[in-house]
Amino acid sequence: MFDFKLTPSLQETQQETEKTRGRVYDLIVLGGGPAGLTAAIYAGRARVDTLVLAGSLPGGQPANTDVVDNFPGFPEGLEGPELVRRFQSQAERFGCQIELEEVVEVDFFSRPFTVRTHRATYQALAVIVATGASPRRLGVPGEDKFFGRGVSACATCDGFFYRDKRVAVVGGGDSAVIEALFLTRFAREVVIIHRRDELRATQIYQEQAFANPKIRVAWDTVVEEVLGDQTVSGVRVRNVKTGEMETIEVDGVFIYVGMDPKTELFAGQLDLDEWGYIVSDHRQRTNVPGVFAAGDVQDPLYRQVVVAAGTGAVAAMEVEKFLGEYPKSRIDKDVSTACCETEL
Amino acid sequence: MPLLNEEITAQVKEQLSDLEGPVRLVMFTQEFECQFCAETRQLVEEIAALSDHVTAEVYDFVADQNRAAEWSIDKIPAIAVIGAQDDGVRFYGIPSGYEFTSFLHAIKTVSSGRAELSTEGVQALAELSEPVHIQVFVTPTCPYCPPAVMLAHQMAISSPMVRADMIEATEFPHLAIKYEVMGVPRTVINETTHVEGAAPEPMVLEKLQEAVQGA
Ligand SMILES: Cc1cc2nc3c(=O)[nH]c(=O)nc-3n(C[C@H](O)[C@H](O)[C@H](O)COP(=O)(O)OP(=O)(O)OC[C@H]3O[C@@H](n4cnc5c(N)ncnc54)[C@H](O)[C@@H]3O)c2cc1C
Repeated sequence: MFDFKLTPSLQETQQETEKTRGRVYDLIVLGGGPAGLTAAIYAGRARVDTLVLAGSLPGGQPANTDVVDNFPGFPEGLEGPELVRRFQSQAERFGCQIELEEVVEVDFFSRPFTVRTHRATYQALAVIVATGASPRRLGVPGEDKFFGRGVSACATCDGFFYRDKRVAVVGGGDSAVIEALFLTRFAREVVIIHRRDELRATQIYQEQAFANPKIRVAWDTVVEEVLGDQTVSGVRVRNVKTGEMETIEVDGVFIYVGMDPKTELFAGQLDLDEWGYIVSDHRQRTNVPGVFAAGDVQDPLYRQVVVAAGTGAVAAMEVEKFLGEYPKSRIDKDVSTACCETEL
Repeated sequence: MPLLNEEITAQVKEQLSDLEGPVRLVMFTQEFECQFCAETRQLVEEIAALSDHVTAEVYDFVADQNRAAEWSIDKIPAIAVIGAQDDGVRFYGIPSGYEFTSFLHAIKTVSSGRAELSTEGVQALAELSEPVHIQVFVTPTCPYCPPAVMLAHQMAISSPMVRADMIEATEFPHLAIKYEVMGVPRTVINETTHVEGAAPEPMVLEKLQEAVQGA
């Protein structure tokens, strides 16, 4: 009944923080998910001096995923946290330094590139951006006020607090329906609020949801506001077909309306597409020579562990090539002109 | 049956192989009436067996009342992670699931005596003149929780004024209700101030200072 997860966050490199001051790394990888860790494995193995800044969710999305069933090489599937823990041990075996710091600012205009966290400022000749994606918010009044206190994006974390209560799940995809089913273990009633007249989720999940007496679906409905004084008391919703407004009384709201790439930090420095994804080419290059992007942060289409890992590997191999062409001694002088002319 | 499987055991052993100083896991249990007391005790004993530097001490919450008071333990199951001195690092409820990571982290950090905080953070904590009590509410199934717990414990290790508890909310539902926990992690500072989510160090520091000034 108990399990004991050793997630990647265990690794502490306390002594090394001192060593990092004033040092210019070959490569800094932003993100400790499948893309970032795979990039680190490749870079470390190629003896590229690499620092990984893993942020607040070391291991990335799989750290929050029950089972990953389709990563090749694991015929029985593997728990998400265990899969990424293995990614990390492998990166460490090749000598990569991994820190749990959240990047708060980057400067890709001057070289070496600068990356700032709450704790320190780091510099590197090349950067791989692999900050992944995070759950999208609704952007309605009341959502921020109650986030963490009645509005949640993690049913496995917070489901327990809704024993015998009523909750709303917003969304209609696999995650929304899977989590709605999970929440029926605790909640007395689960209302799925979906903006269309049919669910997007896989058929078997839909069938389970429709067969579950605790679940009902509010079709063609969008949330306009999360209501409540001290705690959440309900959601104000609008029927998109009739325009009718209504209040649904609930004690909690779980939001599963998709993912957004984590790219706010890079706006104005890296080219982003209209949905906020980093624009990269098939060699994972961005518009800034020496800055590469890998994984969900640049992938609006597939968003899979194996794809993230694949692009992470490509990015690291490209970094190796980049560093070969522009070794440390030349980078200041040459790269901003020479390499930009050839690349763009 | 051991709680830790072979694979995890091997990893823990490896993680604990380079401990710098001795660590005492002071565990409080009770003969009856504690949901996961038996398992928590077993966990502590299994871990102590994996390193020469780690020892387990098991006490009875009722029979050893005075000791419980001495370690300021007020509920069970409880684990105090003690290094060269008592830094105020506590776990209430079994550190299973994702919290196992926080637990091993606490052992390692207490052993070295070095918290990894920013220079500003260390400075701000050094200036504290009043005691601060941080309680981090978690569930074992919350991947966002260990960073919040680890940060609180680092603050405790960094400052003699700060003590920090992990509280496993499902084992202490009355506390979850008392502190209005509807989502985790939720960090409660000095009873009054709270932070939702795995907030970065500067934000928690700011709240901590707010809590001290507000008092
Ligand atoms: C519930 C769920 C189930 C899934 N199931 C599957 C599945 O079965 N199979 C499959 O192939 N895929 C699955 N996926 C998708 C898969 O998890 C992602 O495609 C993959 O994790 C993307 O990897 P990534 O490294 O690009 O980004 P992420 O996994 O999102 O990792 C991003 C990393 O960047 C870090 N980061 C973010 N911002 C910063 C910052 N400012 N500074 C420093 N670090 C930062 C984060 O802490 C994290 O470590 C699932 C996703 C979810 C949410």
